[in-house]
Amino acid sequence: MKFKYIVAAAALAALPSTALAECKVEGSGEVNVISNFFETLELIANTMKECERDGLVVDAKLTTEHRSETEQSFAAGSSPFDAAAVANSSITLLQARGQLRPLNDLVDKYRDTYDIEDQMLIRFGDDIMAIAFMVNAQHFYYRKDLFEEHGLAVPKTYDELLAAAKTLKAAGIEHPYGAAFGNSWELANEYVNLLLANGGQLFDPATSEPAFETPEAVEALEILGALFEYMSPNSMSLDFGGVKRQLQQGDIAMAIQWGDQAPTMDNADESTVVGKIGYAPAPATREGGPPASTFWWDGYVIPKNLDGDPDVTFQVIMHALGAETVAKNNDTTLWIRSNYQPTQYTAAITETVMGGAPPYPMNPQSSLAHSSLGENISDFITGKESAAQSLADAAKAYRAAAREQGLLAN
Amino acid sequence: MKRKSFLLFVAPSVVSMLLLIAMPLAGVVYLALHQSYVKTELVELTTEVPLFGGLKRQVTRTVPQPVLDENGRGVKVWKFVGADNIVQAAEVEGLDEILSGAREVTSLRGFISELHREITNVDFWSALEFTLLYTFGTTPFVLLIGLGLALGVDRASERLRGTMVFVSILPMIVTPVVSSLAVYWLFLDGAVIASLIEALGFGRFYFLADQLTIRTVIVAYGIWWAAPFAFIILYAGLQTVPRDPLEAAMIDGASAWQRLRYVVIPHLMPLLAVITVIHVMDAYRVFEPILVFGASVFANSVQYLTYYTLSYEDNANKAAAYAILTVIGVVILLIPVLVHTYRDQATRR
Repeated sequence: MKFKYIVAAAALAALPSTALAECKVEGSGEVNVISNFFETLELIANTMKECERDGLVVDAKLTTEHRSETEQSFAAGSSPFDAAAVANSSITLLQARGQLRPLNDLVDKYRDTYDIEDQMLIRFGDDIMAIAFMVNAQHFYYRKDLFEEHGLAVPKTYDELLAAAKTLKAAGIEHPYGAAFGNSWELANEYVNLLLANGGQLFDPATSEPAFETPEAVEALEILGALFEYMSPNSMSLDFGGVKRQLQQGDIAMAIQWGDQAPTMDNADESTVVGKIGYAPAPATREGGPPASTFWWDGYVIPKNLDGDPDVTFQVIMHALGAETVAKNNDTTLWIRSNYQPTQYTAAITETVMGGAPPYPMNPQSSLAHSSLGENISDFITGKESAAQSLADAAKAYRAAAREQGLLAN
Repeated sequence: MKRKSFLLFVAPSVVSMLLLIAMPLAGVVYLALHQSYVKTELVELTTEVPLFGGLKRQVTRTVPQPVLDENGRGVKVWKFVGADNIVQAAEVEGLDEILSGAREVTSLRGFISELHREITNVDFWSALEFTLLYTFGTTPFVLLIGLGLALGVDRASERLRGTMVFVSILPMIVTPVVSSLAVYWLFLDGAVIASLIEALGFGRFYFLADQLTIRTVIVAYGIWWAAPFAFIILYAGLQTVPRDPLEAAMIDGASAWQRLRYVVIPHLMPLLAVITVIHVMDAYRVFEPILVFGASVFANSVQYLTYYTLSYEDNANKAAAYAILTVIGVVILLIPVLVHTYRDQATRR
């Protein structure tokens, strides 16, 4: 009866790692929640299920197709999902379509019961639209041993980073640097980091016209071009997972990488550089400037068209995002709650954000600018055209897309 | 057959075709002819974003906010735009600019290469270029290799055949995303193929670093993936080759090549046509290797543009326009084959 053991093991694995906390949810009905699929969200989903009892059904769907499913159900007459987990990028469209239910009344009602902290509230104007629980940001990863061997200091600016790359290359490390240039979206994300840190912006807020044909923008793009010289020629095909492997295999000596990937560097099952990787804030584009990175949050939203009860749904969410969840799972992610204790793997994220990295912009113009940049700036990096030309192409693509979405007049 | 019973017989297939083929297609056309968005207005807003340890940051910006109706739902705009989406998707404007732009003509060759460079700088046309390259690059090899495999397996001993058929159709069994990944991983830095080439003393070679090699790898993958399909159909076809003409040819002293050329291949011709039609349709919709290799600067496809527009621009209407362009492209490519089949049918009657 091997099958039985497998089922038992699976059931055990699915149990929340927290001991069953007391669920204070009042009311009854059915609560359906949809989210992406990763460790922290799985943990939260399991914590939500603790609230199940007679008359209260809690169901969580974790899927990598969450984005399109959320968009479709929130646009329908009545949404089968009473809440969804979103991030900076995915809240944009839902908010722009006016589909989110402001949560001010529920936050006021339950502020004390669930100890809702102010920094968890995502506001658009006066409306609280989401309850955030974790943050993530890209920052600098480097090989401590190699930096020590070659007498290098951790770079504070991209000029210093390029100088370090030159030294390492001269010392025989063929491709010292790595970053996710491969997927159009990720490449544009690297660029947006540099553009914003360099004082540029994606669009003019007063008119929605694109703003990436400026000297700051060209300069930022040229930094990406200079970095490419120190990257593997295959980099135009590597996404952040590919860069993670490069670091783990010891192919590169430094990289810009998502903060939440840090613990995987010390996982001996997949990494050959256990204990050798150091983490630092993302470098700035100029002396004293903010780190060239943006920070991202993950949180829960409730739609206007839910078929369940917003009050019960909100309580279930807040139960799962309680201080107890953070205390018991401190090392799972970088929690926003104030009882979170930073670890060696998250300190660099904290420092990047405290250093002034802006939040990734949450509006439809930015999404469109991001996608048109992604499709065009690679022409400059691979040497097909000049930086100014590829930015001009991107601006043209942005204008066309923004007109179609009614953001720009014809 | 009476008209009524004929209609009754065909009714189930007509109804299911209408439901499963015509309706979705009409839906896509309908989407492509419209534009939709939620009306927005620019409002000055202060957005608060969380930090941690009780800190937060205020950001004040003019941001677009949805215009809400009396029920608090966003006001949807849905307007008919005719062919606008398709014209935008095909980037007719960009093409027009290039074609009407003044340029110095020094040599025909220079002129053509300059024109090619400018046209392939336009997203849609560059995607179309590789889509066509992939389609025409894979089709002949898929037919040739499929036929070769079929002939080989046909001659193998009874005992080996089962295993050979299974091994030959493996590439078709594996999901394209997974097999694309497997091929992609072969060519990364320090991966099997790169290390092998280095170990053989040819130095370091970066397959994913330029257009020519990356395109070659993707086309080779396409052949490897689709050849089993041609093989399995041709292998079945080989079992139906009549023995009499073959034996007659042998008595007349025809060589093995002559028997293949003048007896077997003519017999398989309808099958080869079917494989070509289906493979051209498949190849024109190439998507998985483009997604997995992630290097759309070197190799892009029309199908990938549909996906990109839908998932990163959130524009279902323009994505529908790309889908229509794909259908139009497939139809244009299939015209010669369809005309040929039609004539064939007509002469047989």
